[in-house]
Amino acid sequence: MSTTIHVTSAGWMTTFQDLGRRDAERLGVPTGGAADQHSAAVANILVGNGYGDTLIESIGGELALVPEGNILVAVTGAPVDVTVNGARVEPWSPVVVPRSQELRIRETGGGMRTYLAINGHVHSERFLGSTAPDPRMGFTQKIGVGESLFVDTSFAGFKRDYFDQPLFRLPSPTLDFPANSWTIDIVEGRALEQIPSMRELLSESTYVVTDRSNHVGLRLDGPVAHPESDDEIVSHGVPIGALEVPHADELIVLGRYRTLTAGYPIVGFATRASLALLGQAGPGRHLRFRWVDHEAAVRKETQRRLSLDGLRFAVREAFDALGFSQP
Amino acid sequence: MTATVHIPLTVESFGDSAVMVSVTDDDQRVRRSAIVDLRERLLARRPHGVCDVVAGLESLLIEFDPITTSAIHIEYVVHLLAEMPPAGAVPENAARRHFDIPVVFDDETGPDLAEVADELGIGVPELVERICASRFTISLLAAAMAPMMDGLDVPRAVRRRREPRTNVPQGSIMIAGENAIIQPFPGPTGWRVIGRTPHTIVDIARESPVSFAPGDTVTFTSVSAADARRIDGEFLVAANG
Repeated sequence: MSTTIHVTSAGWMTTFQDLGRRDAERLGVPTGGAADQHSAAVANILVGNGYGDTLIESIGGELALVPEGNILVAVTGAPVDVTVNGARVEPWSPVVVPRSQELRIRETGGGMRTYLAINGHVHSERFLGSTAPDPRMGFTQKIGVGESLFVDTSFAGFKRDYFDQPLFRLPSPTLDFPANSWTIDIVEGRALEQIPSMRELLSESTYVVTDRSNHVGLRLDGPVAHPESDDEIVSHGVPIGALEVPHADELIVLGRYRTLTAGYPIVGFATRASLALLGQAGPGRHLRFRWVDHEAAVRKETQRRLSLDGLRFAVREAFDALGFSQP
Repeated sequence: MTATVHIPLTVESFGDSAVMVSVTDDDQRVRRSAIVDLRERLLARRPHGVCDVVAGLESLLIEFDPITTSAIHIEYVVHLLAEMPPAGAVPENAARRHFDIPVVFDDETGPDLAEVADELGIGVPELVERICASRFTISLLAAAMAPMMDGLDVPRAVRRRREPRTNVPQGSIMIAGENAIIQPFPGPTGWRVIGRTPHTIVDIARESPVSFAPGDTVTFTSVSAADARRIDGEFLVAANG
């Protein structure tokens, strides 16, 4: 069954999104995808979809949608107020939006990106197998006011005498957004040998995300040291979350649209488990770094993944009990 | 590529879910061909837990899922694959094409031209002459399918910019080290911008967004701004079809 959803407000920037493209890096196309992969995956799990299915990402302002049929949605990511037909509902939980009622999502500050998953298959164009935007290549995937989304969903609606919403209590692994500085776990990079003083600088300083940041990387103001020698580094691949010291006095944390040619000394790497928070950091955000060893980094990532699996099982049980079908 | 030569590889941890493979050989050509070969072997077999493989000029970044495998296992597999005889059907020297690319070299299209010439201790006309006399080979597709080339013939390696430029126009010709690259879309770069071609290099509306591939050769020819205007964004095709 196909449903049309009308976009009545699109915030600053709303796009189709997924977890990114695979095997495209050898064509020079970055993996891209949701900067906060954790929130994107949780949103999809909460509506019974696959982790990497197409969803909606919104940055800043207010997103509002009115479906022609009943839909089941979940909102995750940055702190938000969510309403359905004016009534408050919970983020990080499955939410029923009855036909012709408005879903409204307003960011309340603290994070950058909101994810909206819709039970079923969201129609969108693909480039190299993914719906993730690649604005640099002209694949913008923007969704504007007045446009419509098309979703194939088997969700049939939910109705009880006294409540419009089913009462879920699911173990959602939410992201925490501390009010002050955010702490990012990092492991050592090889350039620490040439710039040993960066070890202490990183652990003891506060860095501020500047507005020169973009989808390629976060550019941070804060103390850095440079290597003695200025040898040319041959271009090489760099993982997402690499902490680079360019020639200028700034620190770059590479994002999902990083390119091969960024050949600067790498002093550390954000751990996989801390990438979600980095993906939520906007201009003005204060970041602190904490050195951890590989075992600790992998342990945290393992816990995070177990929490996703746990949520998936809980959602399946709840949906079975309520008679919701999953795509 | 001969299988009998044992090429020493180093594999180092690169964050909690990647390793960097480099070849320790004095000969740059050996390093580069060994990396191309190893990438083919990895992609052909795709070891369990490997998510993506990113080739640099002389290195290979292998990204993996740290829950299903670990750096130690990946290192082991890389050494095993490197020691195996070649798979055989590796398309070598398939159909090499040559591209002769018109470029406008002036202060507007090449804002780093004068500074690079100064650094190399030569004049701007000589720098342009040397760039146009260089015969480049496309070694890989870099950001946004940009052709990354070796073969820049200048007195010594060209340094990157101290601070990356945030928005370089499409078609810009950029150099660093002994390499050149063409900017397919407007965007940031830390490379030195020395000229611009009026051709469209990448067009995602086409079924094949680019007409070139690694192994193809490139030369640059200096043209006037008036000549460039006549080309007006025409899609780049090979000189030898």
